[in-house]
Amino acid sequence: MSQQSTKKGEMDLPVRLRYKETKREKTGVYFKKKVGWLFIIISVIAITIFNFYPMVQAFLLSFQTGMGGNLEFTGLSNWQRLFGDPTFIAALTNTSIYLLIQVPLMIVLALFFSVLLNDPKLKFRGFFRIAIFLPCVTSLVAYSVIFKYLFGIDGIINIFLLNFGFIPESINFLADPVWAKVVIILAITWRWTGYNMIFYLAALQNVDKSIYEAARIDGANSIQQFFQITVPMLKPIILFTSITSTIGTLQIFDEIVNITNGGPGNATISISQYIYNLSFEYTPDFGYASTVSYVIVILVVILSIIQFRVAGEKK
Amino acid sequence: MKKFYLMLLLVVGMVVLAACSSGDEETSEGGGSEGSSSVDTITAWAWDPAFNIAALENAKEAYNGDGEYEVEVIENAQDDIIQKLNTGLSSGTTNGMPNIVLIEDYRAQSFLQAYPDAFHPLTDVINSDDFAEYKIATTSFEGEQYGLPFDSGVAALYVRTDYLEEAGYTVEDVTNITWDEYIEIGKDVKEATGKNMLTLDPNDLAQVRMMIQTNGSWYVDEDGSTPNLAGNESLEKAFETYKEMMDADIAKIVSDWSQFVGAFNSGDVASVPTGNWITPSVKQAADQSGNWAVVPMPRLDMEGAVNSSNLGGSSWYVLNVDGKEQAADFMLNTFGSNPDLYQTLVEDIGALGTYSPAAEGDAYAVEDEFFGGQQLLTDLSTWTDEIPAVNYGLHTYAIEDILVTGMQDYLNGAELTTVLENVQGQAEAQLK
Repeated sequence: MSQQSTKKGEMDLPVRLRYKETKREKTGVYFKKKVGWLFIIISVIAITIFNFYPMVQAFLLSFQTGMGGNLEFTGLSNWQRLFGDPTFIAALTNTSIYLLIQVPLMIVLALFFSVLLNDPKLKFRGFFRIAIFLPCVTSLVAYSVIFKYLFGIDGIINIFLLNFGFIPESINFLADPVWAKVVIILAITWRWTGYNMIFYLAALQNVDKSIYEAARIDGANSIQQFFQITVPMLKPIILFTSITSTIGTLQIFDEIVNITNGGPGNATISISQYIYNLSFEYTPDFGYASTVSYVIVILVVILSIIQFRVAGEKK
Repeated sequence: MKKFYLMLLLVVGMVVLAACSSGDEETSEGGGSEGSSSVDTITAWAWDPAFNIAALENAKEAYNGDGEYEVEVIENAQDDIIQKLNTGLSSGTTNGMPNIVLIEDYRAQSFLQAYPDAFHPLTDVINSDDFAEYKIATTSFEGEQYGLPFDSGVAALYVRTDYLEEAGYTVEDVTNITWDEYIEIGKDVKEATGKNMLTLDPNDLAQVRMMIQTNGSWYVDEDGSTPNLAGNESLEKAFETYKEMMDADIAKIVSDWSQFVGAFNSGDVASVPTGNWITPSVKQAADQSGNWAVVPMPRLDMEGAVNSSNLGGSSWYVLNVDGKEQAADFMLNTFGSNPDLYQTLVEDIGALGTYSPAAEGDAYAVEDEFFGGQQLLTDLSTWTDEIPAVNYGLHTYAIEDILVTGMQDYLNGAELTTVLENVQGQAEAQLK
């Protein structure tokens, strides 16, 4: 029917005009394609040069060893060395601990805050939103240093706990292997919860209010609404934030360096800090450093696949 | 999302590395054109405006040779200098590299060995006999002298005379003692005054480094790369001493620099065993003037140990880039041969060099009221000459990071030999 009517419509036009129109359209499509390519060619070239080329070079570098500039190919020796290197294993363990505790904690908190702050009946919503997002605009180094002082042996946390009689004597948070990790996790959670909350808030604005209304009419309480409506509706965003947070936590560097500098001993060292140490703190071994950095790449890929499988759409 | 710059840095390093590996011919060509390497401006990098930058500025003024060039002094943080040198030198391009750079002695060997052709030998330029002997070992490589020794890291024991007096001791009682005697005095001081004897930072084994150097020992063997931890008697003794200090409860635990300085500025500790560069920080507490004295570093209670050690210190290096002859000329004319310059350095910025002829100058004989009229600089220079020479080698900081974990285990009750065998194994695994 519709085809017929189109044909009929075209028939009405003068033949010459119709011909011209098609030609213009054709060149237009061709031209548009070309222009489209021109627009992205810059980023394609830039990404190839500054992203893919270095990635390949770094991969090649991970098979070389030597001090500074005297590198030679040694096959898989760096990869072998990796598994016998206690510092690397400590760094990997610490990073995994941060990841396993901090990312779920932060995602849940962010989700919780965003639902609370999305409540239209809440007063001073804007103020609370800003208050929770504000940590994200502070510099990583600045807030790390502040956390370091807060949790120092003469820091305000200790003074507070002492004065209120919670503890008999000051805890040296940063000199204790367990407490130091707790401080790091608290610090990253404080810094990044608001950031993730913004994604959830944005997503919540797009959830149709009528769904909640319908649920309420059916007698669902707010907990049921949260688990049956909010969480499923936010699934793609939860997936996105958990992947970006995972990547971010795997690369954690500033907080560790500034709060504990990896200490006490190697109790808080992260993979990124170890890479930095191998390159610039110790006698430079860029080959081994890039092997370690490829471990992060492999971990990110594996963890992202797992997260996609668990939370993503099944095809 | 975060922290991409670390990766970026590495990646940039790798790009330049790649460029280097494909540009070998170019590099050798560059080496051939040595004749025309004259430049108008030579640049020098250092990190402390109150200390080594100021020393460079003084040297600029003191220059009286006939070289026609400008000297540009650029201040960079020490970590930045290390990063820039590493990325620059490993790329093989000399663009943006300075002519003169200051490098900490503990790191010198790793630069000299990692980038063999990057530094200009000064063997024929300076007379290495003019400098403190212990500096020469760390600043030379394969028989060539590369570094021009600069500041002395001679370590000393800064003591509070008033606290000692309260506990019934005099300055003589703490002069030329062993660490074991030091601990005994520390216990008495704590009993009499309630003050701790010293500060310790379990994450920074500077204390251990100073102790083992009194006996001419180091973390690595003579070759500068084989870890020498298990069975190293000096290290064992230093670990035991460290633990005794902890057990005797004479040490205040600190975790960073500001707490360290704060401890002695506020009068919380009775002594500070550290490098002489701490003098300005000690003097910050002007109200304590006259209550301080400086005595030689305690030694390990072992045969052959001396009452002199070192902590830190750095030296000048000339890079093998265009302008190296001028840079070497500038260095020779100033830090390499001018005793008057060292007098100015001492007077203006309190920088103690390691150029022996300078020690006879008047400025060194000044009596320091803060330290009860002691001729501090003369004393420090004397002790500088006695520092046992050791090869710091390549891995000071890498090994120290491993040792810190070992120290934790040891303090928590592990057995010393096991701990040291353990760290030896770790070091061997990591430092291939």
